[in-house]
Amino acid sequence: MPTIEIDDKVIEVKAGSTIIEAADSMGIPIPRFCYHKKLSVAANCRMCLVQVEKMGKPLPACATPVTDGMKVFTRSQFAVKAQKSVMEFLLINHPLDCPICDQGGECELQDIAVGYGASGSRYTEEKRVVLNKNIGPLISTDMTRCIQCTRCVRFLKEVGGMMELGMVGRGEHAEITAYVDKSVDSELSGNIIDLCPVGALTSKPFRYSARTWELIRRHSIAPHDGLGSPIEMHVKGNTVMRVLPREDEAINECWISDRDRYSYEALNSADRLTTPMIKDNGVWVETDWQSALEFAATRLNDIARNNPQDIGVLVSPNSTMEEAYLAKKLAQGLGCGNVDHRLRQSDFRLDSKHIGTVWMGCNISDVQSMERVLVIGSNLRNEHPLLTHRLRKAVKAGAELSLLNPIDDDPLMPVAHKTICAPDAMVNALAQILKAMSVMPRYAGHLSPAVSNLIDKVKVQSGPQSSAQAIAESLSGSSASVDLVAPRAAVLLGNIAVHHPRYAEIYSLGEAIAELCGASFGVLSEAANSVGADFAQVLPNADAMNARTMLESPRKGYLLVNVEPELDCHNAHLAAKAMAEAECVVALTVFKSEALRDADVLLPIAPFSETSGTFMNMEGRVQTFSAAVKPLGECRPAWKVLRVLGNVLNIPGFDFDSSEQVSREIFGGEDPSQLASNRLNNHLYDSGVRDAARVNDETPNILQRIGEISLYQADALVRRAAPLQKTKYAVPLAAYMHHAQLAQLGFQAGGAVTVSQGNGSVSLMAQIDDHVPIGCIRIAAALKETAALGDMFGPLEIKAVEIKAA
Amino acid sequence: MFNRIKDVLRSLMLVELLKGMMLTGRYLFARKITVQYPEERTPQSGRFRGLHALRLYPNGEERCIACKLCEAVCPALAITIESEQRDDGTRRTTRYDIDLTKCIFCGFCEESCPVDSIVETRVLDYHGEKRGDLLYTKPMLLEMGRKYETQIATDRTADAKFR
Ligand code: SF4
Ligand code: SF4
Ligand code: SF4
Ligand code: FES
Repeated sequence: MPTIEIDDKVIEVKAGSTIIEAADSMGIPIPRFCYHKKLSVAANCRMCLVQVEKMGKPLPACATPVTDGMKVFTRSQFAVKAQKSVMEFLLINHPLDCPICDQGGECELQDIAVGYGASGSRYTEEKRVVLNKNIGPLISTDMTRCIQCTRCVRFLKEVGGMMELGMVGRGEHAEITAYVDKSVDSELSGNIIDLCPVGALTSKPFRYSARTWELIRRHSIAPHDGLGSPIEMHVKGNTVMRVLPREDEAINECWISDRDRYSYEALNSADRLTTPMIKDNGVWVETDWQSALEFAATRLNDIARNNPQDIGVLVSPNSTMEEAYLAKKLAQGLGCGNVDHRLRQSDFRLDSKHIGTVWMGCNISDVQSMERVLVIGSNLRNEHPLLTHRLRKAVKAGAELSLLNPIDDDPLMPVAHKTICAPDAMVNALAQILKAMSVMPRYAGHLSPAVSNLIDKVKVQSGPQSSAQAIAESLSGSSASVDLVAPRAAVLLGNIAVHHPRYAEIYSLGEAIAELCGASFGVLSEAANSVGADFAQVLPNADAMNARTMLESPRKGYLLVNVEPELDCHNAHLAAKAMAEAECVVALTVFKSEALRDADVLLPIAPFSETSGTFMNMEGRVQTFSAAVKPLGECRPAWKVLRVLGNVLNIPGFDFDSSEQVSREIFGGEDPSQLASNRLNNHLYDSGVRDAARVNDETPNILQRIGEISLYQADALVRRAAPLQKTKYAVPLAAYMHHAQLAQLGFQAGGAVTVSQGNGSVSLMAQIDDHVPIGCIRIAAALKETAALGDMFGPLEIKAVEIKAA
Repeated sequence: MFNRIKDVLRSLMLVELLKGMMLTGRYLFARKITVQYPEERTPQSGRFRGLHALRLYPNGEERCIACKLCEAVCPALAITIESEQRDDGTRRTTRYDIDLTKCIFCGFCEESCPVDSIVETRVLDYHGEKRGDLLYTKPMLLEMGRKYETQIATDRTADAKFR
């Protein structure tokens, strides 16, 4: 390890590191603009010039690797003179904009100019002006302020996966621009706002609304996906003004997805419910908490007295552990075991077969060091925008990524092998992979008889359609170019797999594959607290009803915790019907929602920003947060509402004074992470596969729906975040199908069609999307426009709307 | 002993009283300088720091760009600003309040303003009947700016070479 000396301090550093890295580790400040620890080195701003002994010229610290015995001076006259000259150059064309610049007060250029800038300018010529670009609804640009550090360009290319910005022109004419008429559409785009050292790229929704020094920073956890990114809410008065990432190398590095960044816009939307409401003869009337709670308690109690099993409790998987746990406890107090948080799951055959709580099977930071990954049923960028970046890192480092998916959307990274097939062919495709693997000499005889009987008749197809053989070889490390005998491998299930009507088989086979080749196996959980709610046993009792059966055989009463039934449940039609038929629906909700039209009482609860609580993310990390702002209007944290509801119902054990007391009860006073590490387990009791599987089904030739949830429809908050709804991801609703399928059905692109599932039907426009396999129609779920349809995956009928001749 | 006698004599002869009366008498005949406020006023410096005003450009556009520097510098926390992007894309305040019951008339806001928008005028005689009357809002401050622009401008021009 080379030893170097910086400003007379001696340090030993890793060979190959740069001067700036060494200085950073010693806490010696070197000014910089283009260098960023997570991006490649560009060395184009020259702000980091330092003096190196025996060098005639100053050297850029960010691009100069250390050599043994190197002597560096960062504050010598020579170095400072160089830095000051660079500063003067940078300011030549920089506008005197600070008072109207949104970056003012948190601007790297401002800060460094205080240290290195002159008090006046020697430049009297005209400054250059660069036209602003419209790069979408999330980021506003003031390109005259750009100093061409290219951090934004490098971020979108290296982290975002697509080069959506670039620099054109040279010298005086250099400017950053997107493709002609294109916006920046990356689902991680907001990070370039944080990266831009000047005010060239700033947040559009936040624009001109507050100054950095007015904002109070409060820590929280992003509530939209299983990653649980640590965030910082910037609060002014009692309003969340913006959300920025906090840094945690193990979770989000230093990024957050746009969903986590901009969903705060929904927190004060006009849709917020701020007073309790009771439906009186079909008319909503505002009321006070006392009467609303008593009303709810009486109605629930009436039903429970007759038969407690007539009640169904549905909890959003984005609720905190405390909320979910109290809902379960309340149900149990009423004698009812029908509690579930797995609202979008439809196959529950594995219930009671799990040994422990299902999780992702490895740590989030392990993903980037995987060498072989098989992702089953996941539209990666849609479901896990930021985790996808870890996969991207792995692939960049040489990992082979294989996909088994019903949609062929581009994950913005090279995919080694993929099988794209209709949802009902996925089980067979998976069985083929297992079969191909099990006949490899290395694994011969490793498979348990139960599993090998199961896949006995499966034939591994060859040909361009199927890459089962290739995926099996890749996972086991025996692909054509054998460079690894036992690669670090992972088999991961995405949301589509979990929502799949044959999840049991997919899970069992996935687990068998992982076990055979020694890969880690897990589920990329959908919501912020899916793992946590599982962990807190917010699941139906042994013989009680799950989220699906509760709707299939409608209950008399429902308690909904932050659920919009027709948008959050697997089968929208069933959900809406069950709510309409129920005698009493008690809804704890953040928003007034059309989906709650059949409720009888609405209790306004606080969203994540206004309550304290705990989330357990997909790797089992327990993260507690407190409220960033006070609840709006009459809203109350859901744990308090449930606690008081428990008291009104006279259920014992509901005397909690804080959410911490609730979480202490959940963890039984033990160390949460210790407990989590004991209980997280993806294995099945041996009977799992045998009972569950019907592997060799001939796939019948019927049209199926692929009802994915689009990125910005995932939960109640993002659905109401106006800026996100203006992005390119808010894809217009249509029945998307392969062009050959369209031709076969005899439709016109853009023509009106009627799609029906079960009893419901909707009129849509037929559109071409060649990412959809033949035999499938892609129709988004979690939308009120498609709420009349049924299962997210399942058969459907489609016919052209006849245009009557006039 | 001697001093005691002297004191007694002095008090008997009302020496102190006469001295005092002499001073009064002198002022009785001196030139009067009482200012008959409000008909008369003392002279004022061009730098007088009185009631605030938000200035406008000659074309009627408000100067303030909502940079919030005045709000940040105000030691009495008397200024409250809310801002947004106006329809024409410029940065503007939606609320600009000065609470005159908090203001200590230090003039820092005027000094910090990059566009000479907030200024303290020479106006010193204003009143409020209720406490709320002394919360000056944006329209009131702009009205001040409109009304006194000529004088404000003259004062600033005169002072410019010292700044
Ligand atoms: S980018 Fe920084 S230095 Fe430039 S105008 Fe904005 S705040 Fe001022
Ligand atoms: S826009 Fe910002 S991040 Fe991009 S090159 Fe310019 S200064 Fe750098
Ligand atoms: S300092 Fe001047 S421009 Fe800035 S907010 Fe105050 S009055 Fe407006
Ligand atoms: S930081 Fe080294 S050249 Fe920009």
